[in-house]
Amino acid sequence: MIEFEGVTKQYEQSLALDGLTLTIPDNGLFVLVGPSGSGKTTTVKMINRLIEPTSGTIKIDGQPINQMDLQTLRLNIGYVLQNIALFPHLTIEENITIQLEVLKWTKADRQKRARELLEMVHLDPDQYASRYPSELSGGQQQRIGIIRALATSPKVILMDEPFSALDPVTRTQLQDLVLSLQKQLHNTIVFVTHDMKEALRLGDEIAVMRQGSIQQVGTAKAIFNQPKNEFVREFFDIERQQASLTVQDLLAADLGTVVNNQPITITSSATLAELAQQLVDHPDGGVVATDGQEQRQLTMTDLTTLIAKRGV
Amino acid sequence: MTMMQQIEQILTTQSGELLQALGQHLEISLLALLIAAAIGIPLAIVLTAHQKLAEAMLQVTSVLQTIPSLALLGLLIPLVGIGTIPAVITLVLYALMPIFQNTYTGLIGIDPALKEAEIAFGLPRAKRLLRIELPLAMPLIISGLRIALVMIIGTATLAALIGAGGLGTFILVGIQSNNNALLLVGATLSAVLALVVSALIRWLGTLSFKKITVSLAIFVGLFGVIEGMTRFQAPQTTITIAGKLGSEPEILMNMYRDLILEDQPNYKVTVKPNFGGTTFLFNALKADKIDIYPEFTGTVLQTLVKSPTKTNQDPTKTYQLAKKSLQEQFNMTYLPPMRYQNGYDLAVTAAFAKKYNVKTISDLAALNQPFTAGFDPDFYHQKDGYQGLKDTYQLNLNAKIMEPSIRYKAIADGKVDVVDGYTTDAEVARYKLVVLEDDRHFFPPYQGAPIMKAGFAKAHPEVVKALNRLAGQITESQMQEMNYQVQVKHRKARDVAHDYLVKQKIIRH
Repeated sequence: MIEFEGVTKQYEQSLALDGLTLTIPDNGLFVLVGPSGSGKTTTVKMINRLIEPTSGTIKIDGQPINQMDLQTLRLNIGYVLQNIALFPHLTIEENITIQLEVLKWTKADRQKRARELLEMVHLDPDQYASRYPSELSGGQQQRIGIIRALATSPKVILMDEPFSALDPVTRTQLQDLVLSLQKQLHNTIVFVTHDMKEALRLGDEIAVMRQGSIQQVGTAKAIFNQPKNEFVREFFDIERQQASLTVQDLLAADLGTVVNNQPITITSSATLAELAQQLVDHPDGGVVATDGQEQRQLTMTDLTTLIAKRGV
Repeated sequence: MTMMQQIEQILTTQSGELLQALGQHLEISLLALLIAAAIGIPLAIVLTAHQKLAEAMLQVTSVLQTIPSLALLGLLIPLVGIGTIPAVITLVLYALMPIFQNTYTGLIGIDPALKEAEIAFGLPRAKRLLRIELPLAMPLIISGLRIALVMIIGTATLAALIGAGGLGTFILVGIQSNNNALLLVGATLSAVLALVVSALIRWLGTLSFKKITVSLAIFVGLFGVIEGMTRFQAPQTTITIAGKLGSEPEILMNMYRDLILEDQPNYKVTVKPNFGGTTFLFNALKADKIDIYPEFTGTVLQTLVKSPTKTNQDPTKTYQLAKKSLQEQFNMTYLPPMRYQNGYDLAVTAAFAKKYNVKTISDLAALNQPFTAGFDPDFYHQKDGYQGLKDTYQLNLNAKIMEPSIRYKAIADGKVDVVDGYTTDAEVARYKLVVLEDDRHFFPPYQGAPIMKAGFAKAHPEVVKALNRLAGQITESQMQEMNYQVQVKHRKARDVAHDYLVKQKIIRH
């Protein structure tokens, strides 16, 4: 559990965080979302002490982090950067295991660990371990960025807008990857994004931030259905207008009927146009999609309800 | 002989000296590079955290670069003397800027995201530096080292002026004795050395950081061992003899050496020819950096000592006055001079002498025509040179200042009508010149003799005794002939000196 208690960050010219109080529960995917300047990046960088608060306390599992050994703290917190930031002169294996060098792992152990991690993200170790970052595509590079953060098996992983520089297709793939890794490893992931759609897709719990303070904390459903104030509602509206909606949005809006043991006929990232085509092709059987937890059968009515509610 | 044949001759007869000079050159250059790197790189690392200080340091190193290297060498002599040390210090000061600047630029130019990553991953400071930051800055650091080394190798040619040896010796002697082949050999070798070493460093830059570090460590280790072995040999009596630029001082120095070694074969006698000028040498002597050098009586009175009478027409009186003044003012011993007088003179071509029927300087003055004259800078400015001569003879010439080494060429090519010279110059015979008689005895007599500290003379009576065997020896024509052998025939000063001593039965073999 990560707790912020009255945390303020005052810069010379501006107030970045204003008495932030927030609890991030264990073993979930917690998303901080908000427009630029809302303080979300400041918040996440305080957890590994890249930024120190002006006042207030941050605790991990009840222990104030400013009383912990800085190096130990950082070696036990994974960190994924927006610009990926793989070290260009080190091989993929060396990039992944750089923290393990500090922890004095043997070369053989490090190699083994790198192989495990590469396999976890479906990259062939024999092919990729000895390559250099520049030989990989952007999406592959950020996969490495993610498993580099997993190398020391940290309990907490911070991700600071990790996918904002990637194209939409790659982004969706990597979101799926993060979701499946989290299910597999049960880490606590703190994920920063300015993209409400990404927040809705990933977050077990979402905190919406604005000008250094929290506007609303809750599950995707709760925030989507009961925005606490005008700002949260408008933030969603902007997202709604900007977003080209997908099946995922339909699921997130709690539409469709829960079913069991049906073959999945459409991916959650399919667009509404694709869904419409499928519904036309299968007028009576309906279409089944999954958000990873439960399967839902979708109908024309569900589609029109979503369009009526959110616009296209 | 064609230029090619001359070069060939130099390469075959002087290969030993060339190799030695190449070795010295490389040694001075690499030593300077290592020291500059050992200062510049850590300094840049430390200052990456202090940007304002780093900017200031960049300014300082840039200013150091603008000081002419010759001036820097001159400034260092009173502080650290002559030889390798001031040469290396000068080169280090020059090399600092490219090394410091490139290292600093390389380090602060690292992508901030990578710096954030290494910090966020909890990598310790040393790990960040050695594993991430230095390797990332390495291409720039290597290019800084390369720029520095090329500059060092070029500038190191000037080290010869202060007795540090190296390829500059060949260039200096080449300029001095009008020997373009020698100059070309020295300059070419220095350029080739720069190219080869630069290519080596470029190759080093293509290796991984680990291999670079290992190669450098091996290199520094080997270098240290070799340096150590050459520097810490068994102690023995070492005598250092130096002299000015030119064939005559070099011949004399070698005679001094032969004379000392004849009696004391176990002594180590080092000869450092081609030193800059009078003041360089005298300061070096005062600072105990050298033990003996040959100096002229006239120069002692003119330049070194404070004396009411600068000139005296009687050679014996001139020597006595010089000896007394040196003893009283500097506590130095001036041994008895050799026989020949090496005074200033004026020379014209034989054709000119015939055409105008001039034999004496008075004849030349009587013509009262503004003939063109090429004078060396010292001669032009000094009271015992042209300035005094003008008044004594009512001489009216169109005088131009010229480098000593080219003025004989100028008169031979008909560019000037009159030149100054020394009575023992080889060029008088070479270019068929006529020396005009100093009929009013204006030029003071210049006799050469060894000068040393009184303390040295007292501690080494055997050296004094050996050197005194040269007193009263060597006539003007003998000196002219020896200069001719070295300057025109390109024989080694060492051999010419030795042959003379043996022939005159001053030494046995």
